[in-house]
Amino acid sequence: MLLIPSLKGKTKYSDISTIADSKDFYMPLDAYRNVMTPVVSIGERVKKYQLLAQSEGTFASKLHAPVSGTVTAFFQLNGKQMIHLQNDFLNLETLTFPVEPTGLTKEEFMDVLLDNGIQGAGGSQFPTQLKYNIQDRQIRTVIFNGAECEPYLTSDFVLMREKADELIKAAQVIRTVLNAQKIVFAVERHNIAVRKILLKNASNLGVEIEVKILSDGYPQGGELQLIKSVTGLEIRKGSFPADHGILVNNIGTLWAIYKALFEGRPNIERIITVSGNGCQHLGNYRIKIGTPIIHILRETNNNWNPDLQTIVLGGAMMGKSVESPLVPVHKGSGGLLIMRKTKIEKNNCIKCGLCVDVCPQHLMPLEFVRHNLSSDVPELKKFSLQDCIECGACAYVCPSDVPLMENIFDGKKKLFQ
Amino acid sequence: MNSNPYIKPRFNGTQMVMLDVIIALMPLIFVGWLAYGTIMLQQICVAIVTGLVSEFLFSSILLKKYNTILDGSAVVTALLLTLTLSPVTPWYILSFGVFSAILFGKIVWGGLGKNRFNPALVGREFMAVFFASVMTSPNIWKTSDLVQTSAPELFPGIDYPYLSDYLNSVIFKTTGAMGEYSILCIALGGLYLLVRNRISWHIPLSLLGTFTLLVGLSGGDGLRYSLGGILLGTIFMATDMPSSPTTGNGKLYYGLMIGIVIFIFLKGGIQYEYMSYSILLLNGFSDQASVVFRPRTWGETLDYKRKTEEIFILTLKILGVAFAVLSLYYYELVNYLVYLYILYIIIKFNFSFSNKVSNAI
Ligand code: SF4
Ligand code: SF4
Repeated sequence: MLLIPSLKGKTKYSDISTIADSKDFYMPLDAYRNVMTPVVSIGERVKKYQLLAQSEGTFASKLHAPVSGTVTAFFQLNGKQMIHLQNDFLNLETLTFPVEPTGLTKEEFMDVLLDNGIQGAGGSQFPTQLKYNIQDRQIRTVIFNGAECEPYLTSDFVLMREKADELIKAAQVIRTVLNAQKIVFAVERHNIAVRKILLKNASNLGVEIEVKILSDGYPQGGELQLIKSVTGLEIRKGSFPADHGILVNNIGTLWAIYKALFEGRPNIERIITVSGNGCQHLGNYRIKIGTPIIHILRETNNNWNPDLQTIVLGGAMMGKSVESPLVPVHKGSGGLLIMRKTKIEKNNCIKCGLCVDVCPQHLMPLEFVRHNLSSDVPELKKFSLQDCIECGACAYVCPSDVPLMENIFDGKKKLFQ
Repeated sequence: MNSNPYIKPRFNGTQMVMLDVIIALMPLIFVGWLAYGTIMLQQICVAIVTGLVSEFLFSSILLKKYNTILDGSAVVTALLLTLTLSPVTPWYILSFGVFSAILFGKIVWGGLGKNRFNPALVGREFMAVFFASVMTSPNIWKTSDLVQTSAPELFPGIDYPYLSDYLNSVIFKTTGAMGEYSILCIALGGLYLLVRNRISWHIPLSLLGTFTLLVGLSGGDGLRYSLGGILLGTIFMATDMPSSPTTGNGKLYYGLMIGIVIFIFLKGGIQYEYMSYSILLLNGFSDQASVVFRPRTWGETLDYKRKTEEIFILTLKILGVAFAVLSLYYYELVNYLVYLYILYIIIKFNFSFSNKVSNAI
């Protein structure tokens, strides 16, 4: 696997801090494979935790108000639907009802997840309740993904360090609900410091957990790679891990589950690593979903300067650059990176094969470029473009800066047309 | 950058790759200088200047790219070609070789990385065809009176002259092509490239392994080859990125087949050109080798029967072509391959490659 020098040192041991709430919130209505519809109307006053929007069907998702205030508009930002919520700084909350964990059934648990808007915190925003829709499959191993292989991000690490107790309580509930044999916290070697903390908290709580130390490598935290490292099973992309008795949840997701279960609070915030090579006041911040990034930049004494910086939501390897300072934080963003712009020297592919060497899915990324440029869909299929997990490892190592990712995204569009 | 990833490793660009190859060649150039002094340096200067001028001219005219001389590949090609030649090769022939290497070996394919064949070896074959009388005359290897530093007695303690000669030649000798004077320095360069991850171990290992095995099995009688030449070709030519496979197993197979083909050519009596013919031949199959030996996709179950069939057919094709080349060699028709190549590549450039210059692959 690819070794990327760790860039976590600067934020790893900073405690989770908070920033003042923003005046404006832009609540993103985009969910996994669908768009939510608002259930509030313009001019309506809402309380913190109140349901703002939802979608139905397989990928049902929900979105809640992070603060109390007034809904002032529905609008589009860079083609994405948003609700504009103006903070009234009164902090009026709806009533919250913690869940009684004993005797919780799988179905009830899935309802808790959906009703609290829990979605994958690792980036995909996959509706978490779907992972638990396992019917009568038996889950043997539940893996909590703390690998955090993205070079700058430390939000999972600090969560495990500071909230180990809460994470383990939630993990125990999940284990009982699923009647799973074991729960495994998987962390990369560079985060080995949390092993002691996790084990100590677990023994205090009388919960049996396993902490699996994985080798450092990118993308160790990719679900399929993680499953292999923990259980030895190599499963194909697109197959359902539950068919193999495995369920994987991200650490950030687990924390959101804790708050839903034990505090009755919907998913309205997350931990975000603010970092990057052009960043001031690096650290891990507790930030509400819908906070526009310009607010975070201001609060951390950074500024919006697209000529000199690239601002990335998510990690440096898989995140997305943002075009507008108003773009809000969503449930899958683990980081906000301020990167200095660098010049890139594009050259022809020199067939060095490095991209093939590092591809975790064992694909031939250079062939995607070749066949996407000639729009040859059968060949793209033959080279298994559908198995690409978009991890960016190939583009990272490419000495010629061949536009691998652009061609992969473009090729996938052609593939799924 | 508008797409992920947003970080890159430092000092990893194509220029760095080329620079590393140049660094790896330095020890060899140094022993060349020890052996032939300024003659060696003159040759290198001629080659580099021709390389850069040809690159700039033709890349500007044909590809409309004006800064490709900066990528360093022209220098690498010029150096590699020079090192396969005798130090007394007339300068205009060397110049012609480098020019052909750059123009016909690389630029008409669409530039760096798109060439199917190793440019330096293409240049070499052009020289052999268009200056046949000079290049194949025995005089071209008569260089002893020009030697500046003759090979010293490095192992006076060893009583067996055969063994001490052999050991000597590993470290320093003064016969053969400019890049063959020190096996030690070739190996040193190879080691550097390996450590820097600019070449992978697959091709050298399987090529040398196969070749040694075959020579060992056959007893090696009557085979006349230059170990330095084979090593130079293995480390610096066979591993040339654009013309070798991109997948690990593809590389292993490729090295293995080069080893076999060298052996066939040696047995068939090809005298000087066995190494360049073998590599050029396999260059032609490198893309197919990459694809046939494509890695197994994560979680995929392999169809072994189909795979075996594919490998079998590819091997048959390669052996078929090897014997065809051997026959052409007997009837002294190899020249026509070069003429055909020129025709093919010009047509291809006009109708296809020139339209795809801006594609990265
Ligand atoms: S091809 Fe896809 S899976 Fe493979 S390295 Fe590139 S982005 Fe990652
Ligand atoms: S890493 Fe880049 S240059 Fe090397 S083979 Fe892949 S695409 Fe080509």
